[in-house]
Amino acid sequence: MTTRKTLLLFVVGLLALLSFSSFVTAQDLPFAGVELDVLTFTGPQIAEPLQRRAPDFEALTGAKINVVTVPFSDLYQTILTDQATGTLSYEAFVFAPQWMVDYVVPGYLEDLTPYVEADADLQWEDVGQFFREFSASFGGSIYTIPLDGDFHMVYYRTDVLEQIGMEPPTTWDEYLAVAAAANGMDMNGDGEGDFGSCIAKKRGEQGYWWITSIAAPFIQTQGTSQGAFFDAETFNPLVNNAGFIRALEIYKETNQYGSPDELAMGVGDTRGMWTSGRCALTLDWGDIGSLAVAEGSQVNGLTGAVISPGSTMVLDRATGELVECSAETCPNAIDGVNHAPFAAFGGWSGGVSSQIDQLAKDAAYAYFSYMAQPAQANVDVTIGATGFNPYRISQFEDNTAWLAGGFSEESAAVYLGAIEASLNSPNMVLDLRIPQNQRYQGVVLDEVLSRFLADELTAAEAAAEIEARWNEISDELGREDQLAAYLNTLGTQGGN
Amino acid sequence: MELENQLAIPGQPTKKKRTSGIPTSWLDNSARYVLIAPAVLIVLVMAIFPLLVSLYLSFSRFKFVRGGFEITFIGFANYNKLFFGSEQRHLLGKFAPLTPLDMLVMALAIGGMVYLMYRYVRSDRFRIFGFIMRIVAMIFAGALLLMLLASLTLAGWILWVLCIAILFYALFLYTKTAYYHPLGVIVGAGIIIWLSARLQSVLILPNAIGLPGTLSVTLMFVLGGVALQYFLGLGLGLLLTQNLPGKRFFRVVFLLPMMITPVGIGFLFKMMTDTLKGPFSPVWIAAGLGDFAMLGQGDTARLAVIIGDTWQWTPFVFIILLAALEGVSKETIEAALVDGANRFQMFRYLILPEIIPVSTTVILIRLIESFKLIDMPNILTGGGPGTATETLTLQAYVGWRSGDLGGSAALAYILLIVATFCAIVFVNFIRRRLLDWVK
Amino acid sequence: MIRRLLTSSNPFRPSPIWMAISYVLLGFWAFVVLFPLYWLAVTAFKLPADVNDGPAYIPFVDYQPVMDAWNYLLVESGENFVRRPYINTIGVGIASALGSLVLGAAASYALARFDYRPKLALIGLFIVCVLLTVLITGLGVPWQLSVVAAIAVYALLAQSVGRRFSAALGNSDIAFWLISQRMLPPVAVIIPIYIMFQQFGLLNTHAALVIAYTAAHLPLAVWFLRDYFQGIPIELEESAFIDGANRYQVLWRIILPLSTPGLIATFLIVLVFAWNEYTMALFLTGAETQTMPLLVAAQNATRGPQWWNISVLVLMMITPIVVLAVILERYIARGILVGAVKG
Repeated sequence: MTTRKTLLLFVVGLLALLSFSSFVTAQDLPFAGVELDVLTFTGPQIAEPLQRRAPDFEALTGAKINVVTVPFSDLYQTILTDQATGTLSYEAFVFAPQWMVDYVVPGYLEDLTPYVEADADLQWEDVGQFFREFSASFGGSIYTIPLDGDFHMVYYRTDVLEQIGMEPPTTWDEYLAVAAAANGMDMNGDGEGDFGSCIAKKRGEQGYWWITSIAAPFIQTQGTSQGAFFDAETFNPLVNNAGFIRALEIYKETNQYGSPDELAMGVGDTRGMWTSGRCALTLDWGDIGSLAVAEGSQVNGLTGAVISPGSTMVLDRATGELVECSAETCPNAIDGVNHAPFAAFGGWSGGVSSQIDQLAKDAAYAYFSYMAQPAQANVDVTIGATGFNPYRISQFEDNTAWLAGGFSEESAAVYLGAIEASLNSPNMVLDLRIPQNQRYQGVVLDEVLSRFLADELTAAEAAAEIEARWNEISDELGREDQLAAYLNTLGTQGGN
Repeated sequence: MELENQLAIPGQPTKKKRTSGIPTSWLDNSARYVLIAPAVLIVLVMAIFPLLVSLYLSFSRFKFVRGGFEITFIGFANYNKLFFGSEQRHLLGKFAPLTPLDMLVMALAIGGMVYLMYRYVRSDRFRIFGFIMRIVAMIFAGALLLMLLASLTLAGWILWVLCIAILFYALFLYTKTAYYHPLGVIVGAGIIIWLSARLQSVLILPNAIGLPGTLSVTLMFVLGGVALQYFLGLGLGLLLTQNLPGKRFFRVVFLLPMMITPVGIGFLFKMMTDTLKGPFSPVWIAAGLGDFAMLGQGDTARLAVIIGDTWQWTPFVFIILLAALEGVSKETIEAALVDGANRFQMFRYLILPEIIPVSTTVILIRLIESFKLIDMPNILTGGGPGTATETLTLQAYVGWRSGDLGGSAALAYILLIVATFCAIVFVNFIRRRLLDWVK
Repeated sequence: MIRRLLTSSNPFRPSPIWMAISYVLLGFWAFVVLFPLYWLAVTAFKLPADVNDGPAYIPFVDYQPVMDAWNYLLVESGENFVRRPYINTIGVGIASALGSLVLGAAASYALARFDYRPKLALIGLFIVCVLLTVLITGLGVPWQLSVVAAIAVYALLAQSVGRRFSAALGNSDIAFWLISQRMLPPVAVIIPIYIMFQQFGLLNTHAALVIAYTAAHLPLAVWFLRDYFQGIPIELEESAFIDGANRYQVLWRIILPLSTPGLIATFLIVLVFAWNEYTMALFLTGAETQTMPLLVAAQNATRGPQWWNISVLVLMMITPIVVLAVILERYIARGILVGAVKG
């Protein structure tokens, strides 16, 4: 009862604040004198737009924004240490929603639901449903404001596929077939054979992300809230089964059509190979689209994109075996193929520390809201230098900004079409967001996968080892707690 | 009780009074404490607290909870997991069954250690404390050898054995006047026989070989790297103490790699080893190795890491040894030249004794620093393929980065214990002997 | 003829054949050292496309050098983007190197000239007191109080314990203990140090890094200088004592001048270590105090390593040190002095 009241008061107060802010010229600036340190990682992708728009925001509200950056690989731990020890050097953070749970469960992040509800300028409904309901939320409450949309797609060389007379792949088997057919062709006219498939498989970098993209269409069929990592009742990992093992085999087979260096490549390398025209297919985030039209690219106009490939065979969770797709087993299938685009990483989002004073919270929220409002966001996503990829519906409806960003009419249509198809998929896969998910993926999955790729393990052994070690971590951290957190991220339990 | 004999570096004879006998004022008496206190205090403050916290963390589970963090004491669970549980393969490696030959090696090693112990017990240096320390050291060394025997790949072994052979030979060069020593020949022959047998067993049963864990990989990097760096640094130092025109240019050039930040060197070698867009890719292709990726195979990836590490740290050894070599008296050398001494004799009898104290210092420091190798493997391969290039520090870092502070602290302590063991062995068995001989 | 080639009239100038061999070896290693650096230098002037399209070796021939990376880092990213970390690195590096050198020289002189016999029992008592402090702090007593209590306990018991047990350590044990502080990897100590500095309000200050680096690199300085000081004959000091000098004057006027090469080499080494340190800098700094290694590491983000930016930053980082090394090189070469007084 009392919480309701304070909430109401709060919302009223906020509304009052916001209405004030529309009369900035007449009134005092609402956040005059407030100084915010916003932490994110170094590099132009995220820090640049945050920095670029800070002066405008200051002129509008009086709040001074300092963007502080640390190297990407240490961002997660830096935020955690700062908040856990109560140092509070930073008021707000831009981070990957995958880490959200580790900040939400200990109570480091402010619940932004009332702010969002009171904020019309944000146009919350325009944000893709997946980002609103899953990516930004935990247990039914909103904790972050999405600034970016991240998921995997497959890119193909239109000219190469035309030459070999094949269609863009819709299943992973087709992906392998295209890669095999194209491998060894000279794709950039330098007289040397190039590669059928480029996937960044370096350990400790992106090596472990792709396996979920490959395995998910086999494993998740009933929509996002079914989950692709754990059984929602027993919390057993969905790893030691025919679907995941098949995915492991596919993943390893792509080695044959890639560069011999592939095991030591990160996305920086594969993206460089893509723009210099050395690959026929690649699996990547949205970045390739804008990199392909950037200066120096040799594949401008030759880069096509499709929704991440799916599967016609899916896992029967009861038996652990693969079964054919039917209306029942694959309710979300398109042309009999079950797609499950993987929102890996989830898109950079802004969160506000819960341990700072109210005025600073308001200012930090207002800043993220400002960044995410269509007037700003719809321009930023088209700039190739930013790491922001589209996540709002309005960003697909109008392609003028994209054309201004260097896309041709046709490539914009293909690129946006693939993103839209992924975003509209009710079967999108949410990244693993349980507490200490880095230990499941960044440590165990990464290591076992790398050993599997290096021929130290068979697919079955790898699956069994991942399962055993994931179970071990779950038992160590408390299986019940982990399961509850997992269900919270999937939105099937909790809420208000 | 003479602890020094067991534990410490007997660089300075403690019996022989080196303090000058001149009576001194209170100002001089105070110097004794004033000079050393600041250093001891600052190291104490900066070391004791972190050491204790890490020790406690290694016995606990660390969890972020509402309003801060929670540390639960869980006893040896972290260590248990690493040595006997799911992380065993990662830390210690995949063990192949021991061949009879491995057992023979093991038996010989144990026999040797028991013999040394017997000699010690019979000697007048015998102390209870020293005896216990030696027993612990024996068990430790035996366990390490067993792990290495069961888990190293053939190439790892070749590297390992090569380095040991070089060190062995160098040691005899230092201590004996002959070019070879019967014991060295026996050990060398034994190693060759054993390696060839090992090779045959690998050819017959390719799957019966083990795979190294992070501990073995770390030891390989440490031994290979330090040996290479020392001999390269010494060689370069000797070349540059000659009276050559232009030597000042070379001196500065040789120092350059040390000045680059380790992260930067990691990226530099990532470029160097890249077979597609790196500067050596035409060389690879010309050599018919276009399809070969140095970082894609365990052994060659390890080699790449050692090369990078050597490139980076040879200057460190070089600059220290150069300063020591410059300190060798020219008059003595001149006198020897007049007496008709040849190059080898001069090195062996005049230069070597002078630089041995500094050499042992620099080796000890590199030994300790090498155990912390992380940037090179992290940037080159991320520890892959598999766990082929993953060092203990990298393993601890990955765990730490993902929030497993307890497991990470346990790994750090394992590293601390292994490094301390190796440093003490180096100090007591090698450094002391060399310094005694120099005296 | 061959005899002439193999021997040389000047005893310090090697024979021509030896000289040729020496130059070949030195040239080879110089190539090994310089080629990666050359690659770094050319990469700093490349566009991303020049890097990704396969190796391009010679500017103007294989590719057109551009200043894009320099422009991006030094102009487009704002003037503080590189300047601030750069100044921080220089300041922190020099301050902590001097700190390590001064404290290290004093300590290593003491270790070289005095016999220390710290009682084993007192060390044991000290450890017990520290553990006690931790324990009672863990039970909820304010840490200031428990520290005072522990000091009191130590002072009370020290005399009697010290008298009863005579086992003692020596100088070499102290030296070994100092160097052993470098064995624990930084990841293991960083969280405790972070908490400690937070308590003292030192986070995000330059002082934090200076203190941390001074402590971390002090053992190295002690070990190097101890060897040098031991090499200086004690007779030199004794004659100074007879002339009425005290300990500090001897150290200042005789030992330090004689050890210039050692001091300079040591200074260079600890400077380089502090200059390039990453892990501690990451945690102890904030926006105002970040150092250059962080900036280099940060160039590997979600788009993969930005080779051109890394090259620019590394070049900028090594330039001052190289200049310093060139200036100081002549002093390192003066190491001959030590030998002269010895002979």
